[in-house]
Amino acid sequence: MYISVYGEDRSALVRFDSRTKFVIFISSLAVSANSFNATAHEIYCVVLCVMLFLCGKKWNAVKMSLLLGTAVYVRTCMEMQATGSTVVVTIISFILTIFLYCFPILMSLLIITQTTRINQFLSAFQAMHIPTRIVIPIAVMFRFIPTVGEEWTGVRKAMAFRGMSLEPSVIIRHPVKTVEYILIPLLFSCISIMEELAAAALARGMDSDNARTSYETVHLRAYDYITMILFIAAGIWFFATGMVTGGAA
Amino acid sequence: MAKKEIAASANNNKKLRTKELIYAGAFGALYIVLMLVIVLGTSMIPILYLLAPITVGLVCGTVYMLCVLKVRKFGAALILGVLFAICACSNAWFSFVGALAAALLAELVIKLGKYRSKKMYLLSFVVFNLNMACPYMMLSFARDSFLKRSVEYYGQEYADGIEKIAPTWIFFPILGFALIGGILGALLANTLIKSTLKKQG
Repeated sequence: MYISVYGEDRSALVRFDSRTKFVIFISSLAVSANSFNATAHEIYCVVLCVMLFLCGKKWNAVKMSLLLGTAVYVRTCMEMQATGSTVVVTIISFILTIFLYCFPILMSLLIITQTTRINQFLSAFQAMHIPTRIVIPIAVMFRFIPTVGEEWTGVRKAMAFRGMSLEPSVIIRHPVKTVEYILIPLLFSCISIMEELAAAALARGMDSDNARTSYETVHLRAYDYITMILFIAAGIWFFATGMVTGGAA
Repeated sequence: MAKKEIAASANNNKKLRTKELIYAGAFGALYIVLMLVIVLGTSMIPILYLLAPITVGLVCGTVYMLCVLKVRKFGAALILGVLFAICACSNAWFSFVGALAAALLAELVIKLGKYRSKKMYLLSFVVFNLNMACPYMMLSFARDSFLKRSVEYYGQEYADGIEKIAPTWIFFPILGFALIGGILGALLANTLIKSTLKKQG
């Protein structure tokens, strides 16, 4: 899947504020951790796909929902059949479980990283008077996750060019060597990007204590509030029902 | 030259500046991506899933060391720990608190070395890597609710599988794995950083 470094929302059907997307992320963390009701979890995942669609990444949204559908379908089939060797069933259901468990987090990360520009993120949180020391690490983290992915592809291509494959058998035979060959180039290319990023931030006066101005106008509109309330309610509902089940046990 | 700069800025200003906040956030992203890749890649085999503290520690040790060596102020390890906790330990409040405590302890260890001692930096990763054990706390401390949830959500087979491979005392071996992973990761980071710095001159 191609992840663009800079998120863009030009093709968005509805322009959600980055705070709304952040609320979705937090709510997804709560849901992933506390979901035990399969149907509710699936509905939540579908809603996330719809959100990604609305935010403008239509093709990715379709792809992700197809993946989700396949995973749920296979799992339902395995539950209904209840035959086959235990080992295979356990391993496949383990993989599917991890996938479904991570799905809300993955989707909300996609929503944030693919459809939000970092300056939108910064100015939205600055409008809430959250100190920059908290906002900057989080914003940079979201900005950097796609970059790491890109650098990773680059390193893999460079390794293939030199005839070093990254197949599982090789990794198992030479774990330390593999770590060195992947990690060091990855780290150093990332460090040079960090330095450029820091220089760019300094050049734009991020270090000064004055309030920043921005081309981006950030407003919370009615649909932002509605979405936020819905997602917060979903998060609390999952959390509460999780607690009840835990308490009853 | 770079070292002199860092030393000068550390003397002038104890607070983190924008540049260092950016470093911390970016290294946090690296740390989390590597951790997710390793955990998701190895979790197909349940035993490797439980051994994840070792594998993650081995790989992420270098990331952590570069981060704290580049910033050399209070806060780098803490920011890394908070980002880690947000992404990996949100399954229960006690894992979250545990991960934060590990990061704070790591900060203390670095402080004991007065942000200079290399041994203390290496030791701090051993403490920091204890946070890898925190997501597993569910298995021991909220076991009943965890198992019940697994039955309802993932099916009986999965819960049985978990029950078989993870007895109640599993948390202590995992804590041990985290320690081992931290030591191995710190050693690997030491050699890798030394050799690459030598190559770079």
